[in-house]
Amino acid sequence: MRWTRRRVQTVTTWVIVVVWVMFYAVALANADPLPPLETAVRQLVVPPLLWVVAARLVLRHWWSGPGSRMSAMDLPGRLLTVAVAALPERRREWGRAMLAELAEVQGRSARWWFALSSVGAMLWLPPAGGWPVLALVAGVVVASVAAAGPAVGAAVPGLRVFAVTFTGLVGAMVVLAVARLRRPRPRLPVPAPTVLVTSGVAASIAVTVIFLRREPAAAQYLPPAAAVYLAAVLAGCLWVAVAAPRWLGTSRLASHLGAAAAVVFAAWFWLAIHTDEMKPLGFKGRSLSLVVLLALVLVSAPVAVFFVPAFAAGRAGQSFRSGLQAAVWTVTAMIPLTYAIWLPEGLRRHAIDGRLLIDGEVVAPVGANLADALAFCLGIFPVLGLTLAVIGAGLGARTTHRAVPNDPS
Amino acid sequence: MTRSRRPSAQTTAVVLALAEKPTAWRYGYELCQQLGLKPGSLYPILVRLADRGLLETTWDTDVPAGRPPRHLYRLTGSGRALATELAAATAATATRRSGPKGSPNERWQGA
Repeated sequence: MRWTRRRVQTVTTWVIVVVWVMFYAVALANADPLPPLETAVRQLVVPPLLWVVAARLVLRHWWSGPGSRMSAMDLPGRLLTVAVAALPERRREWGRAMLAELAEVQGRSARWWFALSSVGAMLWLPPAGGWPVLALVAGVVVASVAAAGPAVGAAVPGLRVFAVTFTGLVGAMVVLAVARLRRPRPRLPVPAPTVLVTSGVAASIAVTVIFLRREPAAAQYLPPAAAVYLAAVLAGCLWVAVAAPRWLGTSRLASHLGAAAAVVFAAWFWLAIHTDEMKPLGFKGRSLSLVVLLALVLVSAPVAVFFVPAFAAGRAGQSFRSGLQAAVWTVTAMIPLTYAIWLPEGLRRHAIDGRLLIDGEVVAPVGANLADALAFCLGIFPVLGLTLAVIGAGLGARTTHRAVPNDPS
Repeated sequence: MTRSRRPSAQTTAVVLALAEKPTAWRYGYELCQQLGLKPGSLYPILVRLADRGLLETTWDTDVPAGRPPRHLYRLTGSGRALATELAAATAATATRRSGPKGSPNERWQGA
C-alpha cells in the first residue's frame, strides 16, 4: 500500500477522532456529576477538530519536503534517512555519504544489510572530544544521579524521584551535547529566550521545593509517575532552551516572539487569578470601561497569545517552520512560567480561605494545587496552546504563500 | 601529547586498499566489497582517518539522474606516508612469520 499524503491525512484524522472519543467516553464514565449536554458536546467536538486541523497542516508541510521524498523510498532507505537526520550537523556529511551509497546497493537483503550496518556505524561515530572525555562526563553524570536521590531525599523526601529523574535527564543531555558538539559548550543562538526559559525552570524547581517544605503532606499529590513527568517536561524545556536542534534557532524573530508571548500568557494567568478574587466584590467602584477591558483581555488573550506569534512568525519568515519555531518557544517558555506562578499563588490563596486556585468553590487540601498545576501547566495549557499555535503557523505561511506573486512553488 | 598507536588490522587494510591507486578517488561501497567489510566497520574508520587528516573527501556529482551525489575518498600526503609505513610493517611481519621461529618476544610483536 502506497502512503500518499491524502491517505496519511485521512488515517491521522481517524486516529485523532477515535482516540479522543474513547478517552472522553472513559472520562464521562468516571465523571461525577456529568457535565451538561451542551458542555459535553463542545468538549467532544472542539478539541479533536482543532487537533485535526493542526495535524493536517503539519502533514501538509512535512509532505512538501521530507515526506514526499521518504514516501518514494523503501524501508531501508527510510530507516537510514531518519538516522541521518538525527546526526549532529558536523557528522551529517557522513550520513549523506552512506545514504548515497545505499542508492547503489541492489537487492532487498543487501539493502537491509547495508542500512542496518550504517545505522550501527552512526551510533559509534567518534565523538568530538574523543571517547575518554565522553566516558569522564558520563561518569560524573552517573555519580551525580546516584548522589541526587539521597541528598534531595533527606531535605525534601517528596522530591527524591523528581531529583533523580531530572538529574539523569539533564546529565544525559550533557553527555549527548559533549558527543555531538565540536567544542563541548552549549550554543546560545537566542540568549534572551534561553535565559527566560532557564530562569523559569529554575523558578519551577525552587517553588516546588518551597511548596513541599511548607506542606510535606502535599507529596502524596506528586506520585512517582507525576514526578517523572514533571522532571521530563522541565528537562525538555531546558533542552529546547540550551541545546535545541539547529532548526529551532534559525529564526531569531520567532524565538523572541514566542518568549514574549509566554510572558504575556503568564501575566494574563496572574491577572486571571487575581481578577477571580475580585469577583465577590462585584467590581464595585471600578469603571465600566476597565471591566470591559479586563473581560476582553481575559477572554481573548490566551487564544491570541498562542495564535498570533506563530502566525506573525510564519508570515514574516515566509515559512511554516518559522511559525512552528515561535509555537515551540511559546509553549516551552509558558510551561515553567505558569507553573512557577501557580504554586506560590496556590499557597497564598489557600491561606486566605482554604480554597484551590483553579476552582474557588472547592475547599480542598492545599496539596491538590500541585496536582492541578501539573495537569494544567504541563498538560492542558501546552496541548491546547500548541494546537492553536500550529494552526496560526500554518495560516501565516499560507497567507504568505498566496501573497507572493510568480512563486514557482 | 599525541598518542601513537598501531592501527587495527581493519584500518590497515583500508589504508592499504586506498594506497593501491593513491591518486584515484574511491567509493565507500566499493571499498566494502573489496575488503569484505560492513559499512558499520568501514565508515567509522574513514571518519577517523579524515579527522586525522589522512583522508581527503569530495562529492561526485557526475551521477545518473535521480541519484544523490556520492562521497569519494583518497589518501592525503600524510595518509600515503602512513600507507608506506604500514606496508613495510606488514611485509616485515609476514617475513618473520614465514621464517624460522624467533624468540618469544618476536612472536608477541604485533599481537
